[in-house]
Amino acid sequence: MSNINGLLSLKLLGFSFLSMSVGLLFMGLGRKVTARIQRRLGPPFYQAFLDVFKAFSKSSITHNYVMDLGIIMSLGGLIATAFFIPFAGYAVLGSSSIVIILYLMSIGYLGMAMGVSASGNPNATIGISRALALMLGYEIPIVMIVMAMMLTYGSSDLLTFATAQQGGFANWHIFKYPLGFLAIEISFQAMLGEAPYDHMIAPAEIASGPMVELSGKYLGIGFLLHAVQLYVETGLIVNLFLGGASTWYVFLLKQFAVYFTSMCINAVMARYRIEQGIAHLWKYAGTLALLQLFITRLGVF
Amino acid sequence: MYLPDGYTTLTKRAEKDDREVYDLFFGPNHPGMHGNFGYVLEMEGTQIVKVRPNAGMLHRGFEKSMENKRWVQNLSLIPRVCVPDPDPNEVAYCQAVEAIMGVEVPRRARYIRSVVLELSRLGSFLMGMGGVGGALGHYSIMYLMMESRDRILDLFEELTGGRVYHIYNIPGGVRRDIPPGWKQKVLDLVDHLEKRIPEYDRLLYENPVVHTRLQGLAPLSAEEALTSGIVGPNLRASGVKADVRVDAPYAAYDEVEVNIECSGGGDALARAVQVRMDYLEAIRIIRRLLAKIPDGSFKLDLGNLMKLKVPAGDAYSKVESSKGEFGYYVVSNGGMKPYRVAVRGPSLPAGLYLCHKHLPGMKIDDVAVWMATLAICPPDIDR
Repeated sequence: MSNINGLLSLKLLGFSFLSMSVGLLFMGLGRKVTARIQRRLGPPFYQAFLDVFKAFSKSSITHNYVMDLGIIMSLGGLIATAFFIPFAGYAVLGSSSIVIILYLMSIGYLGMAMGVSASGNPNATIGISRALALMLGYEIPIVMIVMAMMLTYGSSDLLTFATAQQGGFANWHIFKYPLGFLAIEISFQAMLGEAPYDHMIAPAEIASGPMVELSGKYLGIGFLLHAVQLYVETGLIVNLFLGGASTWYVFLLKQFAVYFTSMCINAVMARYRIEQGIAHLWKYAGTLALLQLFITRLGVF
Repeated sequence: MYLPDGYTTLTKRAEKDDREVYDLFFGPNHPGMHGNFGYVLEMEGTQIVKVRPNAGMLHRGFEKSMENKRWVQNLSLIPRVCVPDPDPNEVAYCQAVEAIMGVEVPRRARYIRSVVLELSRLGSFLMGMGGVGGALGHYSIMYLMMESRDRILDLFEELTGGRVYHIYNIPGGVRRDIPPGWKQKVLDLVDHLEKRIPEYDRLLYENPVVHTRLQGLAPLSAEEALTSGIVGPNLRASGVKADVRVDAPYAAYDEVEVNIECSGGGDALARAVQVRMDYLEAIRIIRRLLAKIPDGSFKLDLGNLMKLKVPAGDAYSKVESSKGEFGYYVVSNGGMKPYRVAVRGPSLPAGLYLCHKHLPGMKIDDVAVWMATLAICPPDIDR
């Protein structure tokens, strides 16, 4: 029994490192992609790793224990979510319930909210309140799409959705649920906090929001948070719509394709005002998702 | 931790906060602020209730310093009044000195001055339009425009030796003649810049998100603009056809065509579009100037400029900079140094007065965009 637990712990540790490394690699590549769009050379693709190492080697300033706890809770919540994302058809905990994933994903932002509001900086508080408000905008379309799939398969298991798409391109959900895919692509920009929904960071408005109070190791954890978030959210879309994958490199390639699209949109978009952003999400992503849900229900019955 | 009596930590204040008005420092250390200037915003939630401009951090006493330097030494000081667009300062100051002395600048020098002014305007517009992009979180347009601006700075370096500050104009003309081949390089550059405009349009001016953000933001009627002392592109965006180059031509502007058009509307979008229109016109003006540039001397012989004595008298000279009218009032008592120099900058009315009208009621989202579309230049406020 103890051997099994030991093995599982090792696997979980491995998955934590995998999610962070993949996320950091994508962050570096994303910066390179953006730089090329802006006719710049850009930093090397491993720059995000260097940034994290550097941040962790610096001294840090904390305001109180609530801040420490909030940041750790945020990272913990996101890493826990990563365990439920099937990686190349393999779910490390044996379960990949989409309900648990959506639930755990919000812990990331809630932890961040707890941490930065403890710092008392108004910029940080405005930033995190924007992030939480935006969650209202993108979670509703996502839940509607997930509901459509749950209705079809009678299951809430992400791995079931992924395996159901096996057998070639034609089986991918991107063709079966095209409106749902468009809705989730719009929501994905908001989930990642990329333009036109980069309200949480918005340097020119709120001086980088929550990041303004993160120094040294806290900033390092901030980078890791974004990295794990990237892994989780791209993994979610690959499993939901792009047929999952049976080999690790195909899975990574698909994940990067999703992130690459997001970076390209980010590079040519300005930022909405927060209320415009939420309205836009509800109006377009919400309508598309609702249509998809109706179409699916009509197909079922 | 030791705390003085009555002092509460930020955390404590945040805990007991319920719709309480709090201070938010927008600058001097803020990514949305250009330069060492700030607004203390009294906020309720994310809405501004009241604003207190926090100027003075860039105050170096230019006007007073000029009284202690010789006439020509001041030329190294005045470009610092407006960093992105330094040449209008030099020209306005030199024109005032020349007016007091009663000398006529050679025709070639006037043409060279105009070309330099227009190039400086293009550089400043690129920075301004890119700044609007930056304030909106659209960094690609900012990088692309900075790349274009660098090409202009390369030409300035070849002409004057300096990239940002040129110190090229002197009383009586310009410091040196244009180098061989420079004229063709300018023509090639403006061709290149004109070709890039459709790209800027697609990214910025036709971007639906940009329209959503800028439309109806901080409207300014023609009457309000005039009574507030707003000048230049911001005034034209409110529908007033005013431009110093047309109304009181200086340098070589009386010999070339300058077409002024107004975008109208008066909101932030109109102000952004006005800059785009003026940018295209500046490109055309450069072509007209270079086609007519005469041969001849590029400066007057006024002897050793370090020993220049200006007869007693006073003069006001104004120049249309990229942000509007830049004016220099110079008084001489006949000595080797000015008796008094006063600067009228275009950013001061918007930065210090208009903010009281526009910012209260605005959300924090729009402050940086408001500043960028009004092209508020903090060094010009503080001087």
